[in-house]
Amino acid sequence: MSEERLRPEDAPPSLYDDQGNPRFFADPSMDRFVAVVMNLAQEVWVQEERLLALEAEKTGQAVDPEAKVKEFIDRVFAPIREA
Amino acid sequence: MTVELQHPMKADATPDEIARGRFTSGIRSLILNDLAADMRSAYERRAAPAFKKEHGHEPKTSREAHLALRGDPAFNIYSAMRVQAQKMVWASVADSVEREADRLAEEARTAEGAPGSLTLSPDLHVPKNVNAIDVHLMPGSYTRGEDSLEAGAVYDRGLAVFSMGLMGANLDDIGLSMSQYIKQRFPAFAPTRILDTGCTIGHNTLPWKQAYPDAEVIAIDAAPGPLAYGSARAKMQGQEVHFQQMCADELAFEDESFDVVWSSMFLHELSKKQRARAFEEAYRVLKPGGLVIHMELPPNEQMGAFDGFYLDWDSYYNNEPYYKGYRDEVPADLCARAGFGADEFFEFVVPSVGIYGAEAVAEAAKGDRAEGVGQETTGRLAEGVMWYGFGAFKK
Repeated sequence: MSEERLRPEDAPPSLYDDQGNPRFFADPSMDRFVAVVMNLAQEVWVQEERLLALEAEKTGQAVDPEAKVKEFIDRVFAPIREA
Repeated sequence: MTVELQHPMKADATPDEIARGRFTSGIRSLILNDLAADMRSAYERRAAPAFKKEHGHEPKTSREAHLALRGDPAFNIYSAMRVQAQKMVWASVADSVEREADRLAEEARTAEGAPGSLTLSPDLHVPKNVNAIDVHLMPGSYTRGEDSLEAGAVYDRGLAVFSMGLMGANLDDIGLSMSQYIKQRFPAFAPTRILDTGCTIGHNTLPWKQAYPDAEVIAIDAAPGPLAYGSARAKMQGQEVHFQQMCADELAFEDESFDVVWSSMFLHELSKKQRARAFEEAYRVLKPGGLVIHMELPPNEQMGAFDGFYLDWDSYYNNEPYYKGYRDEVPADLCARAGFGADEFFEFVVPSVGIYGAEAVAEAAKGDRAEGVGQETTGRLAEGVMWYGFGAFKK
């Protein structure tokens, strides 16, 4: 893989940081912070699924993980809906 | 939701990997449905009025909508989260592919004797749009692992997470919807030789073999690994397809040797020059009466500024450098410049067969125009997606 950058002709360099990553916030650390929050939420969900599996084994009642993950994501990320 | 692949090369994922994939599909659904709606609202309430105040008019083009949105909080959070979610797609499947490399190779060997073939061309120059950048942020792009099964497995498993169930259980909703549409709209058309250009792993090739089982189906791509994977994948599903390593803008086929030249989500991967050449090559290899047919993103000329930019976003932030350039072109002109008659051109919108059902596709095939090209659900991988297509018969 080369380090060549292919960009749309009308893309100003200011859209990207010095490593070529897209940047959106005035403070570039915010872009990284968003990624950290998402990674962290994902890891919490992994633990949540483990708990759900254990509880299902204990109670004999399985839950729908798709519905649960939607509830989880909606709850955790509710504040960004105010943007 | 993350779909479970329908063949033996599907991941034998750990519970943690399944959970990561489920979260990634879920967060993408939030971004592409809810945050996208928030961004539209912010555009209408804040960004467009502010642009008008500064420029004397509302944004008229995709580029102006982009300028208006840059810096808006709703755009910032949508974009930053979408970029990270895209990285999470590929990360969520990388471990299982690496761990299962030997099993994948064994599964492929088991299927080797099934009908179909794979022809690689080691001397082929793989163009830079295929291997010089991490296309749609997929690490290593399509040439990851060279001619091993790695790139194909990452793409297949990643697409299962990426698509949130909207591309069907076999990731073939586009091919199924489009081939059924063509078959029903042109019932007398009976192709005997079909070419899929830029097929990657052939997931949207197989529906054409299902729609026209007597036809010889050939699928080409420049990247060897996805072809190797796609060939094994097709054999495992009992579909006889012949995969060949080849570029769409330099076809090694005789003149007038195909009835259909098809592609899905491919034209936007090509430079303007490559794209024009690919259309010329399609025209050359089609028999008189043959059909060039492409599923793609709808063109900017038929969309408003916001919706146009919504699709062009990938060009700037998802390593899809030719996306916007393609969308700024006019499909009818692409066909006409290659030699197709203007009156032979047609475009259409097909309801996703997986979402709307076969009857909806049949109903759409009764129409002769493309109602709804510019509507919000067309071409957007979100709830209620519909696919845009265009084509032309060669006289």
